[in-house]
Amino acid sequence: MTTTAPAERTVHPEKSEASRTPILRTILLRQETWLLAVVVLIAVVASIRNPNFMNPDNLVEILRGSVIYFIMGCGAALLVIGGGLDFSVGAIFTISALVGTSLISQGVPIILGILAALAVGALAGVVNHLIVTYWHVPPIIATLGTFFIALGLSALITGGNDVVPLPADFMKLGQGSVLFIPNVIWYGLIIGALFYFVLERTRFGINVRAVGGNRQAAVGNGLRVVRIDLVLYILAGVTAAIAGMIYSARVGAGQVEAGGSSVTLVVVTGVLIGGVSLLGGLGSITGVAVGAVLLSVIDNALIVAQIPPQYNNVVVGAILVGAVAVDHLRRKQLYKPR
Amino acid sequence: MSTTPALELRAVRKSFGPVAALSHVDFAAYPGEVHAIVGDNGAGKSTMIKIVTGIHRGDGGAILVNGEEMELRHDASQSQDRGIAVVYQDLALVECLDISTNMALGNLPYRWGVFLDRKRMDAEAAAALKDLNARVGDVRTPVGLLSGGQRQVVAIARAVRMNKPIILLDEPTAALGVQESAYVGRTLDRLRADGKAVICISHDLEFVFKHSDRITVLRLGKTVGTRTTADVSRDEIISMITGATPADTLQEAS
Ligand SMILES: Nc1ncnc2c1ncn2[C@@H]1O[C@H](COP(=O)(O)OP(=O)(O)O)[C@@H](O)[C@H]1O
Ligand SMILES: [Mg+2]
Repeated sequence: MTTTAPAERTVHPEKSEASRTPILRTILLRQETWLLAVVVLIAVVASIRNPNFMNPDNLVEILRGSVIYFIMGCGAALLVIGGGLDFSVGAIFTISALVGTSLISQGVPIILGILAALAVGALAGVVNHLIVTYWHVPPIIATLGTFFIALGLSALITGGNDVVPLPADFMKLGQGSVLFIPNVIWYGLIIGALFYFVLERTRFGINVRAVGGNRQAAVGNGLRVVRIDLVLYILAGVTAAIAGMIYSARVGAGQVEAGGSSVTLVVVTGVLIGGVSLLGGLGSITGVAVGAVLLSVIDNALIVAQIPPQYNNVVVGAILVGAVAVDHLRRKQLYKPR
Repeated sequence: MSTTPALELRAVRKSFGPVAALSHVDFAAYPGEVHAIVGDNGAGKSTMIKIVTGIHRGDGGAILVNGEEMELRHDASQSQDRGIAVVYQDLALVECLDISTNMALGNLPYRWGVFLDRKRMDAEAAAALKDLNARVGDVRTPVGLLSGGQRQVVAIARAVRMNKPIILLDEPTAALGVQESAYVGRTLDRLRADGKAVICISHDLEFVFKHSDRITVLRLGKTVGTRTTADVSRDEIISMITGATPADTLQEAS
């Protein structure tokens, strides 16, 4: 037995084959390696164009910008690792934030408003799960449907108006800082650590990998796959709701235009470029974190270094395609019939 | 032989849409015997096992474990709870998980309610494999990197490790070489000595005659009959498989 962390083993199976697989290849097959290289490349280009890019304030801003994607990415990644997919997260973000902020702006205690938002996220997850499991609608279609429904409901509830003003106490949650680190970044760290722990160190996390890695085998071994699916869709919904509330607190409004399709796309892209396999089983929270940071770096470089968006889009697209190609290599190694 | 079968099937039926996979299966296996199930491809052997373990739900008939009827509608974890371990024909291993995780799947050890107990998982897996004298390398190797034979050994070790009174094996030697098959044979002998009811589907008649106490033949979804291995010839079994010998009328069970 070796001393390598178990997490590494399940996520990067090629590692345990060190004797047969060259180390260089191992590193190159690791999603984080590529992503970090791209992050560095963009950072170098951006700081040449504007030295302020490397300014600590701006680096904090980059992290702050990545948190929303990362938190949603944690829930979405777990779901994808478990063999599911959720395209509705962007709209769950919107509707739960609007419900939560509306209640808070009408004088409901802040904590209850937040819980209500989380409940909306959880409910959306339950609905997704029911459609996928009992109506046998493929996840991509089912969640696309709930995406539109949630977005439509968001506009109906609010009449198309943003929810303002919000109490200062609520906004403080999204704008303050502790130990010089913005609250928002703390939220990301805490939720990320929680998801990392759940995925790598708990029975539930291993069962999720088993369900996504080989559903039939999971059933054969007595795993309650339908219940696991349900929890995964709920987690994807709840993390979207958390992100929605954090965003609202940060900007000081429940925004009708926030979230939606662009957030769904960014989250799904972030999860995939983070090395989570669309076919299930493989992926890590650290990969998702680096993926989220990369997307935020790109957003930031656009503003700070005025790197035009078309370049960024090309870069994101190329990384996405590259990530899926690398995933194919990993899977070919593991899933080839013998 | 004790009087109550460890596992008994009475007139079990199962159709997949228009395909009648099982039309009438009677079967009884007792503690302390190795009971082989043979039959042509498509005879319904795997379907029969999957009905017992709850992967498929039988359309009719009865399944009894130690004389107690088990609901036809149950899931794999319930069959485990009733004391049944199984090695599926497709092995039911998760390729992206390592050997020790696969061996503990469905029953992962943990500490303080939540923490996965990796050390115990690794130690138990290594011990179970050593017990079988299996050489599959580091227990942290993902199963997807193993050869077909190694996977089969892992799947068998997993079922043995569960230490249930009833163990079902579906073609456990299909991907194995001569030496590995011999290991499996010895494992069956040991399980019998431990008083377990060992039910083994196999194509390999030589293996069946060497290691089984009784043989049940399935043909086109029906039980043709059960014979004591010592009292039956290979040719008789083959003619039961091919249909040259007609099915026994009304089994003692019904
Ligand atoms: N999931 C399924 N759906 C439809 N037909 C099936 C399914 N599983 C088995 N069958 C059919 O049932 C019959 C028995 O199959 P099986 O039990 O696998 O046979 P054996 O294991 O004896 O070779 C075959 O005709 C097979 O095609
Ligand atoms: Mg079969």
